[in-house]
Amino acid sequence: MDDGKKTLLVGIRNMVLGLVVGSLAIGGSGVVSDAALLDGVMGGFEKSMGERAQAKGEQLVIGDFYPAERADSHGPIGAMGDHTHNEGEFMFTYKYMRMFMDGNRDGTKRRSKSDVLRDFAVTPTEMTTQMHMFNFMYGLNQTVTLTAMIPYVLKSMDHETRTGVKFTTKTSGFGDIRLGSLVRLYAFETPSIGSHRFHFNAGVSLPTGDIKATGATPLGVTRLPYPMQLGSGTVDLMPGLTYAGGLNDVSWGVQAIGTIRLGDNNQGYALGDEYEVSAYGAYQWAKWVSNSVRLKWKDWDNIEGRDSNITRRVGGMNTPLVPTAQSDLRGGERLDILLGANILFPEFMELENHLGVEVGLPLYQDLNGPQLESDYSFFVGWQIIN
Amino acid sequence: MSKVIKYSLLVNMIFIGWATMVQAYEVIDVNNGATISGKVIFSGTLPDPLWFDVDKNPEVCGQRRSLAKVEAQDGLLKGAVVILEGVESGKPFPKQERRSTGPGKGTFQYTGGATLGLKVNAENCNFGPFTGVVTPDEAVGFVNQDSIKHVLHTFVSLDAKGSVLRTLHNRDLHPNREIHRTFSHSKLKESRVVRMTCNRHDFMQNWLYAVQNPYFAVSDESGNFSIDNIPPGHYTLKAWHPILGLQEQEIQVTPGKALATDFAFSE
Repeated sequence: MDDGKKTLLVGIRNMVLGLVVGSLAIGGSGVVSDAALLDGVMGGFEKSMGERAQAKGEQLVIGDFYPAERADSHGPIGAMGDHTHNEGEFMFTYKYMRMFMDGNRDGTKRRSKSDVLRDFAVTPTEMTTQMHMFNFMYGLNQTVTLTAMIPYVLKSMDHETRTGVKFTTKTSGFGDIRLGSLVRLYAFETPSIGSHRFHFNAGVSLPTGDIKATGATPLGVTRLPYPMQLGSGTVDLMPGLTYAGGLNDVSWGVQAIGTIRLGDNNQGYALGDEYEVSAYGAYQWAKWVSNSVRLKWKDWDNIEGRDSNITRRVGGMNTPLVPTAQSDLRGGERLDILLGANILFPEFMELENHLGVEVGLPLYQDLNGPQLESDYSFFVGWQIIN
Repeated sequence: MSKVIKYSLLVNMIFIGWATMVQAYEVIDVNNGATISGKVIFSGTLPDPLWFDVDKNPEVCGQRRSLAKVEAQDGLLKGAVVILEGVESGKPFPKQERRSTGPGKGTFQYTGGATLGLKVNAENCNFGPFTGVVTPDEAVGFVNQDSIKHVLHTFVSLDAKGSVLRTLHNRDLHPNREIHRTFSHSKLKESRVVRMTCNRHDFMQNWLYAVQNPYFAVSDESGNFSIDNIPPGHYTLKAWHPILGLQEQEIQVTPGKALATDFAFSE
């Protein structure tokens, strides 16, 4: 990478850092407290929209982020930070995620076990990642919703060696805790154009997940490769922008979120930065049930640096051990389609209850492989709002 | 002097400067005050009340609710807010309680004195009368006397009829709890019209006009209004109704006189 590009990237990173830290600071201090960030500065737009609304005999409402109590008032359950809360409102979510990967892929082409074993001593064959997520959201004021997410992660990976020995490695424990602020930017709605809400996602992921997990392998108890570790080991910034809209029985949303690693972890590497864009549409069949379709594109970079405790090569021929131990075989991009359902239950003790389910299948995968390819992902979550 | 102290002083000076721009009303003895009274006339077709099927908390709110946005009888309008603007000192704010006459028992309670002292008591899914007044920069108490949750949502209307509404507060009002919220002067500088709704019960709709002195009245069942004890001076008399709009006239008040003037709205 030339110096100019490096300087540009550092500049962009610092700008994002400033935005995230600024937003977190706004959240923490409550400096702006009684309005969305852009309320009162959109005079020209409001005047023009107001005139159009008046001509139709409608009302233009600005700054209403309160989603009506309906099944699709929250985005699909797999999305994070898709909506904000009113001052004093609290939401607890328990979410379970399961992702299953089966078989290997290099670029956009599948690779068989024997293909992988030509270049490596061991091939991963399948992997299951499960996550129990405990998510808290609190409306600090009219501007900021505070968020916290504690994940408990279980990973299991099956392998096969050149000699046909099969073995499984497993890890489990708490992952990286995420803290954040959702900063309301602007919202407007009229009956004919529907509601349109924008907020900024400012998150930080803390290195609480284990990055030294070990497991039993044919080589003995060794440090497990990168995908089996529970955390990144770095402080990661997670800036994003979310737009959500709705009109009558239809709702939609777009969200872009990045994960930017700050420096290397204490084992000498940094997971690759990640970028994710989701777009969804939902239809409510009745006030209590809706279905959604979501497209999620994700791009993630290779690992920078490497963990010297992860065995990379074995034997007299110095054969590469397993693709998952190679830091330059970790990047890729994937497009998933996710089908979801949201159900709004009757209130219990004045608490709003939502159930969400979402199942995702990959439409396209391009991996710096050989790498395990995704087969499906599944989310189910229960949300309780006071 | 340290930088921190210097900056603190600067910030304080800026805030003091802004604060002094908002002139406070002063209570004084008014001798030989004048009175303005009159009627608010309505002509045209009276809109039908709106009817709502109650899907949330019907056990408290009732199965069906009506909302009459314009109430008039024999051509005389009820609920128009009449305001005398420009009075900077005079009588104290009145102590009064105004109860809703519609379904539900909500009240606007004005404790009066040096300030308006508005308290909104929500009862039976009703905040109070359809129209009332509020003063900027004064904490308003919102009391939920129901056993169910309401979500208080207030807006400033950027025009007199509420065609463009900007959210001011959006806050849960839990059962048997009281919260306080202030309608800041800076938020009401574009307009004095405030709308109040409940996000959970769409028939709970009320309107407030931000006044800066106690010289206001709300027209009664017979369309009558009366404002008394007015110190002499030249003022603007306004009549406002959230559905019918705003009218104003210039008034010269002379000591001890009774001035009669009417307003006429049409649909």
